[in-house]
Amino acid sequence: MKESNGVHTINQGLESGSKAGYSNKIFTLRPRLSPAEKGSRLFFLICAILAMGQMFLIMVFLFKEASGLFISKPGSPALSLVDFLGRNDWYPTYPDATFGALALVAGSISVALFSTFLATPVGLGLAAYLSCVASQRRRELFKPMVELLASVPSVILGLVGMAVLAPFLQQALNIPTGLNLFNASVILAIMAIPTIASLAEDALSAVPRDIQDASYALGATCWETIWRVILPSAMGGLATAVILGLGRALGETMVVLMVAGGAAQIPNSLFDSVRPLTATLAAEMGEAAIGGRHYQALFALGAVLFLTTLAFNLLAWHLSRRWRGAR
Amino acid sequence: MLLGYSPKARKNREWLALLALKLVAYVALIILALMIFYIVFHGFKAINFDFLTKFPSDFMRKGGILPAILGTLYLAAGSMVVSLPLGFGAAIYLTDYAKPGPLVSIIRLGVANLAAVPSVVFGLFGLALFVVGFGFGRSLLSGCLTLGLLTLPTVTAAAEEALRQTPQSFREAALALGANRWQAIRQVVLPAALPGMLTGAILALGRAAGETAPIILTAAAAFSPALPDSLFNEVMSLPTHIFNMATNGAFIEQTRVRQFGTALVLMALVLGLSLVAIVIRAKLIRRRKW
Amino acid sequence: MVKPPAISARSVSFYYGEFQALRDINLEIAKDEITALIGPSGCGKSTFLKLLNRMNDFVPGARLSGEIIIGGVNVYGPQADPVEIRRKVGMVFQKPNPFPKSIYDNICYGPRLVGVKKKSALDEVVEKALKAAALWDDVKDKLNKSAFELSGGQQQRVCIARALALEPDILLMDEPTSALDPIATAKVEEWIKQSKLSIVIVTHNMQQAARISHGTAFFYMGELIEFAPTLTLFTSPKESRTENYITGRFG
Repeated sequence: MKESNGVHTINQGLESGSKAGYSNKIFTLRPRLSPAEKGSRLFFLICAILAMGQMFLIMVFLFKEASGLFISKPGSPALSLVDFLGRNDWYPTYPDATFGALALVAGSISVALFSTFLATPVGLGLAAYLSCVASQRRRELFKPMVELLASVPSVILGLVGMAVLAPFLQQALNIPTGLNLFNASVILAIMAIPTIASLAEDALSAVPRDIQDASYALGATCWETIWRVILPSAMGGLATAVILGLGRALGETMVVLMVAGGAAQIPNSLFDSVRPLTATLAAEMGEAAIGGRHYQALFALGAVLFLTTLAFNLLAWHLSRRWRGAR
Repeated sequence: MLLGYSPKARKNREWLALLALKLVAYVALIILALMIFYIVFHGFKAINFDFLTKFPSDFMRKGGILPAILGTLYLAAGSMVVSLPLGFGAAIYLTDYAKPGPLVSIIRLGVANLAAVPSVVFGLFGLALFVVGFGFGRSLLSGCLTLGLLTLPTVTAAAEEALRQTPQSFREAALALGANRWQAIRQVVLPAALPGMLTGAILALGRAAGETAPIILTAAAAFSPALPDSLFNEVMSLPTHIFNMATNGAFIEQTRVRQFGTALVLMALVLGLSLVAIVIRAKLIRRRKW
Repeated sequence: MVKPPAISARSVSFYYGEFQALRDINLEIAKDEITALIGPSGCGKSTFLKLLNRMNDFVPGARLSGEIIIGGVNVYGPQADPVEIRRKVGMVFQKPNPFPKSIYDNICYGPRLVGVKKKSALDEVVEKALKAAALWDDVKDKLNKSAFELSGGQQQRVCIARALALEPDILLMDEPTSALDPIATAKVEEWIKQSKLSIVIVTHNMQQAARISHGTAFFYMGELIEFAPTLTLFTSPKESRTENYITGRFG
């Protein structure tokens, strides 16, 4: 933090003249803290550590609960990580239960990628419209609208997918069920558009006004300014927006639980049913015996999900920093 | 004279590009607006006095959604009891006490990353820690604690932002008048930053009200005959009620209108809260003198 | 011999929403000369300058009456195209604002917009523009370096070169040296004095106006108080408000 207030330490110290017999010692300035001060400070530090310590607690708990699956015990042979993520046999409730989660991982990835593919152009276009094209009045009307839409609870979007989009798809395309990869991706995209648009709009608005003016003053049109000056300068922020959107799509639960169809299979077409990781967690946790193998397997899925979104987030963070550094 | 495109070709390209942008924007906004309109239109058919004040009956086909409404309010309010003090405290530490260093960087990175952790993972965490670990069972208490932790990063980040926007000179002025650090924060910094901090809290409240997956794992009852009378009871909630009606049982089609009715109530609650936050923020920005 | 004016403003009034920023300005700016606009801050001199290439179009609630004729065409006429106007009327801003690109790409920005693609043609434009801005010798070996690596004064001259690359008829300069140190300022001033362009320069620095301009216009509270050859305006102003300002009694 650059502007930590109050003087804590002065690194260079003070150099006083030695002529008048002062000592030349360099000394450090420290504030004197009363007990009340120290108390409040400690309280706030504890808050901060708790706020962040969750991160480690979550990790510890996920790994702890999941670990049983991978450690061999009498009556329950250990599952290898390769089998867990590489085999396509998720039959957790069979007497001889197997836990190969490949289909679930494939479901998550396919839905997340396809929804991001749908949402990105629209979200970025909307952002470009809002920040560069729309009149002041339209912007002031539409921006809060977009923000409001970003806060619609996902269960409501899931309901729309089930009750509106699914019957429509089923009839229009003459397919056995409207609850499938395509439907889930469309609904997830609708959900991600406001998020991507909002983040991207911030990135576009952060492009300094003076270089936009420079472009206009050189006879550039509105679109040329967007394309040649604003987009390149905002690239880092835009990439971050898309990656965060992808991360959210991976982690979103209710929509995929309600409209992806729930079949644990590797999809062959856009209109196949899938069962992403998050949907599996929410659907099966109720029926898994606490502490049992199924329960452990679900926590292992949670750990996979956690690590993946964490990686995405760190990537986004890294990208936005690198781009800022380049400018 | 420089040679190149004819001005006409350039103008056509400009017109096309802007048309495409406008089209994308309008189509997106119209689809989103239509969706909201659809929910409102169908939801209104279900809503009447009984729907808002009665218990559900006859496999959710009759009666109302009172326990779900109250359950959601309890859960949302309870989560704020957890996340507000912790989040505000953490934000104050980060802006006013912490010295730059690895600890602060780690805390900030942790908070930023937590905001992106899927809510269902928070649900798992709550299940392992509160429901099973502490033995609270599936209960209001477990749900509040889980949602509290879930909203903590949002609250912390918003509060930190609000505190950071309070000018350094305010703090220096107070310190120069002989206030100690805590007095400066309490008497000068907090009053200036509080509206901004509360805006973040309201948004978090809306989010807590709309979350579904963590509640399914930690607190939800599909149906409970009475309102919870202790923190250790299971509760109904609006989002899980929608989910249950839409996915379970033999009456999915018959309860469709009530599903949209419940969705409308939930949406009104969440969007209402967001709207309040957006209005407050707009006012703040206009009123701010520094 | 009287040349036709480069710019003539006829009863121009300009409003930001309800606020009237300019009142009935009539002004003829001579071709191939340097004209300085001076006055206290908020007097409307920058607003007037930005009217000349329609950079005020982006200000919400901006309204205008009167007409501004450049090259025989009313800049605000129904047929006028702001993009064409800005290509012919270049502008240099208060703070150097190079694009986050290489020096070469900065200079080529304007020509590329109008479709110049050939490398040899662009090379030629860059060399000519940089020489015209007296920057060629400083940067000819690092054209592919980012413009941000240059000093403030050099960045401002990149911005000048960037504007010159479009071969504008008129160059507008909005306090172009206010963000520069004295040495860089001297370089930019030197460039202005030897250029053969029609230049309109806004400055809050009266010495600067006196040093470089042929004619000076004094703005006060949105009105044009006095416009005269620079020497006349500074030695024997007709208006008492002009005299008060140039002798430092207000502003």
